[in-house]
Amino acid sequence: MGPLSNVESLKFYAPEMVLSAGILLILIVDLIGDRMYKRKGGVSNRKVHGTLALVTLVVAGAVLWWVNHSTPESEVPRGVAIFGGLLARDAFGDFFKYFFLGVTFVVGLMSMRSRDAIDHTDGDRDAGEYFALTLTTTLGLFMMATATDMLTAFLGLELVSIMGYVLAGFKRRDRKSSEAALKYVIYGGVASGAMLFGLSLLYGLAGTTSLAGIKASAAVAASPTTLITAVTLVLAGFGYKIASVPFHMWCPDVYEGAPTPVTAFLSVGPKAAGFAMLIRFFGGALPETLLAKGALLDSSPWPLILGASAAITMTVGNLSALGQQNIKRMFAYSSIAHAGYLLLGLVALSGGGSGSRSILFYLVTYLFMNLGAFLVVIALAESGLGENVDDYKGLGTRNPFIAVVLCIFLFSLTGLPPFAGFAGKFLVFSALLEHPTSMNVFLAILGVVNSAISLYYYARLAKVMFFDKAAEGAGPIKVYGVHAATLTVLAVPTIFLGVYWAPLLDAADQAIRAGAPAVIGAARAVAGL
Amino acid sequence: MDFISMITPEALVFFGLATLAVAGALGVALASNILYSGFALMATLGGVAGLYLFIGLDFLGIAQLLIYVGGILVLILFAVLLTNRIGAVNVTNVSAPRALGGAGALGLLGLLTHVAVKTDWVLTTPVSTPTTARIGDAFLREYLLPFEVASIVLLMSLVGAMVIARRAVRDRPLPPVQGATAPVDGAERLL
Repeated sequence: MGPLSNVESLKFYAPEMVLSAGILLILIVDLIGDRMYKRKGGVSNRKVHGTLALVTLVVAGAVLWWVNHSTPESEVPRGVAIFGGLLARDAFGDFFKYFFLGVTFVVGLMSMRSRDAIDHTDGDRDAGEYFALTLTTTLGLFMMATATDMLTAFLGLELVSIMGYVLAGFKRRDRKSSEAALKYVIYGGVASGAMLFGLSLLYGLAGTTSLAGIKASAAVAASPTTLITAVTLVLAGFGYKIASVPFHMWCPDVYEGAPTPVTAFLSVGPKAAGFAMLIRFFGGALPETLLAKGALLDSSPWPLILGASAAITMTVGNLSALGQQNIKRMFAYSSIAHAGYLLLGLVALSGGGSGSRSILFYLVTYLFMNLGAFLVVIALAESGLGENVDDYKGLGTRNPFIAVVLCIFLFSLTGLPPFAGFAGKFLVFSALLEHPTSMNVFLAILGVVNSAISLYYYARLAKVMFFDKAAEGAGPIKVYGVHAATLTVLAVPTIFLGVYWAPLLDAADQAIRAGAPAVIGAARAVAGL
Repeated sequence: MDFISMITPEALVFFGLATLAVAGALGVALASNILYSGFALMATLGGVAGLYLFIGLDFLGIAQLLIYVGGILVLILFAVLLTNRIGAVNVTNVSAPRALGGAGALGLLGLLTHVAVKTDWVLTTPVSTPTTARIGDAFLREYLLPFEVASIVLLMSLVGAMVIARRAVRDRPLPPVQGATAPVDGAERLL
């Protein structure tokens, strides 16, 4: 089946249209809201806009489900190119769409009760903009995960980046937040520029912007030096989004300075979208077989490039996390390390389906444990607790529930059984070892060593909470009910998926079985301008 | 091949424009005064606009002139001129030694030159007819979706810029306007 036309595609773009409608609705309500609900008193801006955003997300999810279940496979199969080949409508994209809706929903819940994200002092004046920007980021994430054309891929990436710049600097009267936004902009600008240059080289080689066209182009395969230069430049853009070394410099400062809900969002959403794009690029547009054997190296250069990047990213992330006193900074370095583990899955991409399957699985477990860990920081910050490791002294007695839940997330992030993080790491490493070349074995061993290193800083926090005495006069800490409930909802899968992971693995299998990582859609001709 | 025969009018125009763009870029990177960097950027942007026009991309060339040279560059210069003590920034980051940076830049230059010269690029012949009709057609046909999404990008960028700018104004209490009865709060709301 050929690509659908613009009008035919609209049905499959319905979730995105719901998101866009939600964004506009929030902006309009924000403009005329004073008259609508303020006068009657009682309802705060954050409740109104937060509820609107959450409802939008639920409706978008329902519409996504409905579109898939109301369209018979015989009529429009999954795995069809829409908008003339600019986007894909496939199970792979849908997997990520549900994922992003989930991330944004949890982040929305976090933000409604976070002073860090929305300033209380002037009647939550920024609440409308905050939630509109968050939903727009989700729209961009959708586009990144479904893009099968360099144009839409870049557009989605920029949409996410620009919204991220504003959200990172959202904290008013805070130097660190402004500094975070500025650093994010500058690094983002450089990474986008490098990526765009790489994409222009690819376009010049293939004469088309579509990923399918790149795959089909003979000229791409015939010029290995140009191709590798182009791909390395493109990797700068991806590396920036997923925070892999050496494009990680912005990460600690931005994670520390940004409002914590935004940090949580940035650490999961764009990272996952970056990996979705990487899978489409390396699984689809640039398969192993693209370069003729012996053209430049004996084998495809991608595993080598990605493997080196993964090894450096894991090691730098974990070693830098060791000495951190600020918890958000520590999680920033830990998220860099996790990008490294995920890159290992990408190295294994060439070995068949298990590489991308393990990435999808890992990302879902990462969603639960990382959002959970950040939510603990947010919930405690609302009660006036600081963000340094020492501030968490004696938390085990001050609020046992929070301390235990945080321990679950920490040990899951380490990758200890029986938590979800273990299953994720296990799948990534076993995908690597399906083809036990010496490099893969080395990478798997390095991954395990890194996990052991990470145990030190994760367990240090657990030790501070349970074995160190709280400061004099520190009483019990209360957290908001919505935070405690959300934490429970995040902690249950973190344990459950570590014990019984078959359903999620099936879902991940289904997402890649439809041939999704392979680029769908016909090669587009040169635009001819 | 005879060197003289290579000097055609096209080659002269092309290399003139290219030299302008590259010299401008060097000026941006190497000038010690940020204002000079800003002015050097004009040469780069203008040179690139000339290159677009040279290969017959009339709309792109004019848009580059109007938006980048006429708009963005002027904004940059304004921002530079209106910022206090912009030259007195205390740079705390360590920078790589000059030799290392220079070697890296030269290596990259060599690689990119190799790529540019040796690759078998897809070539299209320059067109001499106006491109606007085809651009408009492409926007409403095959690139309709990116066109529409770009409007969301722009709308939300405006909203984001407003969030940031509004904060900067609010942090400093506005001076009371002489003879004005409206409270400061009312003035703020306009923003």
